[in-house]
Amino acid sequence: MNSLIVLPIVLPLLGAFLLPLLMRLSVGLGVWVGPAILIYDGWLLAEQWFSGTALPFSLAIGGFAPPLGINLYIDALALLFAFSVQLLGLLFWPFRLDQESARRQSLMLLLVASSTGLALSGDLFNLYVFYELVAVATFGLIAVSATGAAYAATLRYLILSGIGSVLTLLGIALIYGQTGTLNLAHLAQLAPHQLNDTLGLTAFLLILIGVGVKAELFPVNTWVPEVYATASSRLSAFLAGLVSKLALLIILRLLVLVFYQPEALQVMLVLGILGVVSGELAAWRAKDVRRMLAFSSIGQLGMIFIALAMPDGAGLLAVLALAFHHLVIKSGLFSLADGWGGAIDQLRGAAKASPLAAALFVLFALSLIGFPPLPGFWAKFTLITELASQTSPLYLIGLTVFLLATVVEASYLFRLVATLYEKSPDETEPAETPKPAGLSLVTASLFGLGLLATTLFIAPVGDLLSHVSAQTGNVNLYIDTVMAGQTGGSR
Amino acid sequence: MTFTPLDELLLYSGATVLVALLLGRRLAAGWMVTILYGVQLLGLLKMASLGYGGTPISSSLSFQVLGQTLSWRFDALSWFFALITLGSALLSSWYSCGEWERAFRRQGGNLWLFHLAMALNVLSMLILLASGDLLSLFIGWELVSWAGFLLMAMAGGIATKAAMRYITYAMAGAMMIFGGIALVYVSAGSLQYEAILTAVGRMGTAHLWMLVILFGAGFGIKMGLLPFHLWQAPAYAETPGPGSAFLGAISSRMGLFAIALVLVKLFGVVNIESLKIPFTLIDARDLLAWIAVLTIILPTFTAMKQNDARHLLAWHGIGQGGYMLLGLVVADAMGGAGGLLHVFNHATYQAALFMAVTAVIHRTGTADLNKLGGLVVRMPLSFLVLLVGIIGLAGLPPMNGFVSKWLVYRSLLNQGMPLLFLASVIGTLGTILSVYKLIHNIFLGQLRVEHEQVREAPWSMMIPMLILTAIIFITGLFPGIPLAWVASVQQAVGLPVPDYTLGGVTASSGSLDMIWVIGVLFAGFGIGALIFYGAGPSKRVHQLDNYAGGHFLTADVRYQYSDNFYAGLMHLIKGWYRGSFLWLESSVKSLVEFLSLGMQGIYRRANAEFYLLSIALFVIAWVVI
Repeated sequence: MNSLIVLPIVLPLLGAFLLPLLMRLSVGLGVWVGPAILIYDGWLLAEQWFSGTALPFSLAIGGFAPPLGINLYIDALALLFAFSVQLLGLLFWPFRLDQESARRQSLMLLLVASSTGLALSGDLFNLYVFYELVAVATFGLIAVSATGAAYAATLRYLILSGIGSVLTLLGIALIYGQTGTLNLAHLAQLAPHQLNDTLGLTAFLLILIGVGVKAELFPVNTWVPEVYATASSRLSAFLAGLVSKLALLIILRLLVLVFYQPEALQVMLVLGILGVVSGELAAWRAKDVRRMLAFSSIGQLGMIFIALAMPDGAGLLAVLALAFHHLVIKSGLFSLADGWGGAIDQLRGAAKASPLAAALFVLFALSLIGFPPLPGFWAKFTLITELASQTSPLYLIGLTVFLLATVVEASYLFRLVATLYEKSPDETEPAETPKPAGLSLVTASLFGLGLLATTLFIAPVGDLLSHVSAQTGNVNLYIDTVMAGQTGGSR
Repeated sequence: MTFTPLDELLLYSGATVLVALLLGRRLAAGWMVTILYGVQLLGLLKMASLGYGGTPISSSLSFQVLGQTLSWRFDALSWFFALITLGSALLSSWYSCGEWERAFRRQGGNLWLFHLAMALNVLSMLILLASGDLLSLFIGWELVSWAGFLLMAMAGGIATKAAMRYITYAMAGAMMIFGGIALVYVSAGSLQYEAILTAVGRMGTAHLWMLVILFGAGFGIKMGLLPFHLWQAPAYAETPGPGSAFLGAISSRMGLFAIALVLVKLFGVVNIESLKIPFTLIDARDLLAWIAVLTIILPTFTAMKQNDARHLLAWHGIGQGGYMLLGLVVADAMGGAGGLLHVFNHATYQAALFMAVTAVIHRTGTADLNKLGGLVVRMPLSFLVLLVGIIGLAGLPPMNGFVSKWLVYRSLLNQGMPLLFLASVIGTLGTILSVYKLIHNIFLGQLRVEHEQVREAPWSMMIPMLILTAIIFITGLFPGIPLAWVASVQQAVGLPVPDYTLGGVTASSGSLDMIWVIGVLFAGFGIGALIFYGAGPSKRVHQLDNYAGGHFLTADVRYQYSDNFYAGLMHLIKGWYRGSFLWLESSVKSLVEFLSLGMQGIYRRANAEFYLLSIALFVIAWVVI
């Protein structure tokens, strides 16, 4: 039963390579392959969650036990992420039936496979490999959009991402050179003795900056506005919503298990603060909906980095709450931007043409700025209470910046809302306001419903996330699970 | 888990929102909603024991989220504010039914949204007033802010601009409160009021300062305290008529409620008084008092310059909030009573005034003080309402505004604060001058030709106005009625309570008996009438029979002196109107704009890889060295 968990990685990967062939044989059949795989994988992961199997567990691949062999590590967090990957993959599935669609669909399957692998890996090198695969699939997907601006944006992203990968690899190499292992559990055992020095710090910072490219970490996030503004909105939704969170997951795992030097946290805190400041302020002047959302995404990720930078896993709950909240909100907002993309001025009075979309936008915006009792409020509440209880003044600066940024955020989001609901000065003017596409509107509505449901059941959701964060933060549990029967045990 | 009267009240209020939401497009929606406000008021009156020192009533509603307990309950403070909220909602909604509604719809207004926004405002205010811990307080606070935004923004155009400005201020306030809550949570370990009460004693000076500033400014923004007052007047004034009557009556008082709850009850005036400002003789309480006084003076004199009746009233609304805060922070028996009583009194006359002005707009189509005049002969009842209202606003006998202001003045003198007293009297002078401008420019002088056919406001609007007028006079004659509620509020927030009688207060330092005052006043009127009618023949003068500067004017040239009102006074004080706060506001905006430009510049850079590499090098260098 447990070993079935490899299927969510293997099946989409297989599908990705076979799909082009299959499409040639029969388009009618090929169209259904992707969604079917995703649904099956989603069901498998959900069943794993509910089946009552003791979580977390570790699965050695290829019959070699860790630390020699590579392993998958499945805990609540990994399952949650893997499930989100399937769900979002399905929601943002490129359904269109045209020439490009086969290519798009197999790239999407590749993206899903590698993202799932990223979520489940228990090994630094595998993490890196899947991370690279994610990048490759993303480049392809953006470039399929095939506009000039999209190519330019992709190229920029490609270069940045490539250098980031090199830096990450350098960091990993440093770790390997020092410890001789890349298994996370083994590293967690060795870290207090072998990586608690400048070399360890260097390695972490290199990985942080390298992976930070995708996690929209300041200042290596300059690709974000261009790519999100030019790629298709549904893809931007997937990237901003999910891929950035996966990159975050790598950093989170490393931070919990391997690196916890105060200097590392400080660097991350400062970069997080700068991300919030730069993202939210840049969004304030943005004249384009998608660009505004991209900048806001940078700001939100900055907030998550601030949360991540708290010592002793104090901010883990806030990190998870903010991350999943942002995942839902940004995916929803980018779905709305599908059709509402382009200049904000064009959206004057757009609420009249599509009241549902406008209402959803208001809902997402309210939750994003933390309007109680929507989930965003609780996410921000956990963050600020933890920030306020830190003793170092740097965290109070973070708190202040966070609060100020929220004001700016409310200001620009609701300027857009006011534009949406603006009455056109001349009633006789033919209504040619853009409308979100039907499919994306359905997707956005689903996210909206999810948000409202979470609002109603906020107490159990909160308990669940607390449980997940407690499990994630338990280093000894991780080591014991993976190294069961090995010498050493918990550190 | 029993069904308490508070549950009942919240249920009624929720039902009102539902009715407005589902049936709001029906013709009779206004009446339905109005009746439901009446039902809510009855539900509130079921808890009337709270107004006379009863024990708090809690709601059976309670949640546990992320280790926090959310609960709701009503005490005397909540009850008093809820009474004002529901009273003004009932009368404003009643006022909106019938003719005003039809006219509003004709002009393309969205009536459904209006009723819904009103009902949401009332519900969220009740939720705020019922909050049983700081977290539910914040939730209620945000609900009130955004419900207010909906009501303010719904008219579109200028109103939406004003509402946007409001929501930016409100968000800034909310974030200060949010930060304050986080700090309280860290030091008290809980957000329950009892835990905070015990924790306040343990807090260091710096910590308490921080909290007083964060909560004071955060709540103060809603009240329009200086220097955060710029948003309020345009936002309230541009709201559709009955909406501005409602907002003007109660909305910004939610800030006072929160200040009374958090600063006065939880932190305690004694603790605030212990926060000295270094190198000066003043402490945090004096600071608050001076902010209150400046809030009285500056907006009042800004009001004097307004040429739109609604804006003039809205600016006064800000100024009057200053009296309330002033009385509350002086915090002796009389001051506290005056400040809190003024909330009630202000709501009654401010609603009446906004309604009277809206009635004038309804009939003439304008609130421009330079385009009206002489309407007393066409709208005598509206004139009466406005007259009673401005007497209340100016704080003159025999109306209720006099009582509360007298109490505040008296307490300032009793407590030895002559400078504050002097400053608040200057504010009152400004009030008297500007309300005279209001009534003169609308109702006195000569009637304009285009207004000759104007009729009195319809009864659907008149009745609520007359009810308010009656309340203004009766609570002026018998201030003991609201003073009983105020006394229980004072008890609930831990302030001393004055000895009150039906006619006023008795104290060794000076008593007030309004029955006696008004008796003397009316005796004086009687004597005047006797002289007037007994002294010989009098001549009725037609409104148009007038002359100016020694020249007789013909009836063809209507004479109404309205432009450049108080030219002499303005000549003296015009140097003081510098627009410093506008400058401050726009410089903050420019700063954000400038920073934003800079930040966009970072993301526009093409050579991002360069950054990446240089940072990586920097990191390695930093670590190695």
